[in-house]
Amino acid sequence: MTWHVSEEDLRAYARGELAAPLLWSADTHVGSCADCRAVLAAVSDPAALDAGWERLDAELDAPRPGPGERLLVRLGVAAHTARLLTATPVLRRSWLASVTFVLVATVLVVHAVDAPALFLALAPLLPLAAVALSYGPVLDPTYEIAAVTPTHGFRLLMIRTVAALTASLGLNCLAALALPGYGLLAFGWLLPALALTAAGLALSARLGPLLGPGLVGGAWTVLMAVAALHPAHTPAAFTTAGQSVAAALAAVATLLLHQVRDRFDAKPC
Amino acid sequence: MNTTVSAAGLTVRYGGTPALDGVDLSLTDGVTGLLGPNGAGKTTLLKVLATAVPPDGGAFTVYGVDPATPAGRLAVRRMLGYLPQTPGFHPDFTAFEFVDYVAVLKELTGRGDRHREVRRVLDQVGLADVRGRRIKRLSGGMRQRVALAAALVGDPRFLVLDEPTVGLDPEQRMRFRELIAEAGEGRTVVLSTHQTEDVAMLCNRVIVLADGRVRFDGTPAGLTARAAGHVWSSTERAPGARAGWRTGTGTFRNVGDPPTGADLLEPTLEDGYLLVLDEKPTEGTEVTAA
Repeated sequence: MTWHVSEEDLRAYARGELAAPLLWSADTHVGSCADCRAVLAAVSDPAALDAGWERLDAELDAPRPGPGERLLVRLGVAAHTARLLTATPVLRRSWLASVTFVLVATVLVVHAVDAPALFLALAPLLPLAAVALSYGPVLDPTYEIAAVTPTHGFRLLMIRTVAALTASLGLNCLAALALPGYGLLAFGWLLPALALTAAGLALSARLGPLLGPGLVGGAWTVLMAVAALHPAHTPAAFTTAGQSVAAALAAVATLLLHQVRDRFDAKPC
Repeated sequence: MNTTVSAAGLTVRYGGTPALDGVDLSLTDGVTGLLGPNGAGKTTLLKVLATAVPPDGGAFTVYGVDPATPAGRLAVRRMLGYLPQTPGFHPDFTAFEFVDYVAVLKELTGRGDRHREVRRVLDQVGLADVRGRRIKRLSGGMRQRVALAAALVGDPRFLVLDEPTVGLDPEQRMRFRELIAEAGEGRTVVLSTHQTEDVAMLCNRVIVLADGRVRFDGTPAGLTARAAGHVWSSTERAPGARAGWRTGTGTFRNVGDPPTGADLLEPTLEDGYLLVLDEKPTEGTEVTAA
């Protein structure tokens, strides 16, 4: 074994003062390294050593944080918030695989028929759908239990939204990078995506987590279908004026969402 | 005994139809059973008490706190453990991970203390040996115990359990009753059930709900006593009985107003429940207590 826990860290470990994620590494390492256990014994008093073993025993049957959760903690996210983030339903592999499949298929079609509007029309709907599917009594199996805990419904909604948006915008960006021939136009979906997501969330406070985003998604689909009737022109949503409107709509919807935040807590079911 | 949860005039309407119609109640420490047929309003009442559904009318307090305001709602939720009728799980979570997740939602943010608490409640419900097993690999009874552990985590003072024994086999049901009886020591527990045996065996108080109204509020012995002199045996189905069924001995057990000289039997809690349900309430005078 080439890596060992430093003596200073072992002293902190013995005192119970070593913080995660170093604590997790030390726990795992000490359990399998006789040299470090010997050093630990030398720098610990017997009572503290017993407490350390008890803690190690407890750690061994505690849930192991997954790679995503460990990364978030390393990035400075509080460990308990990282737990909530990684429990977001749409971060499951099945959802991510489906979205990736849809995006890859769309990019291939765009390349084949030189029709970027198809990608631009679809891409804003994916973050909206991801956010809508992350929170609510229909799609989150633990919603009813979570809704009556002291964690504010709006806070949980925002945690889920950040997780779903990050994953979904990241995948969209990768897809846009696969369309280099269209330059910045390939990122024309970003502001509409933010506008649709914010508007969908704001409406869901009154209309529920499916109807609100559903109406917004439906309106966008109609807008894109109308634009498709004039294939020679860039759809209005992706012109400078359209992008400005999308940015304004995103800002207004975000303010509105903040105004109605208590609704997510007062009437959860 | 001190009142811990009290409600007055609780009303909930779904599309104009009342699911709860002016429910008054006061609970004390111990286990209160909520009996009633399907559609009686039991689940709605429990959702209101658990702050999942705000009432359209009336008000209630939990240990003196009114959840009508954001601050009050937060304070009530900090005292609450809730087991919904059909608890949902992230199936890829282990039992430990699921209870740990609920513990985070209940503001147990310190990792060490939280994990100790999760271990404590999993031990309490008898799942210490399977805490690392994924929920999708657990039996229905074990999943129900995971959900109970999630309700118990954080040591809440007010436990709301919606049909906790449904779908359990007799042995599991007995184990669950022991757990709930234990949980009722020093806490206010309210549970809904279709099983009159649940109420007879573990509740110190019973409320019968029908059509969104309280039909009976008292002790299990009081509900049983309601049927005293109203249960009799006969060789043929008694035409005037409100309910009657053939027993294992071949005779009929009848509940209702017995004919003169009938062979009266000792009533059970179920007899009292059937009688109370069958009574046609008069506006304003329907609640009977014992």
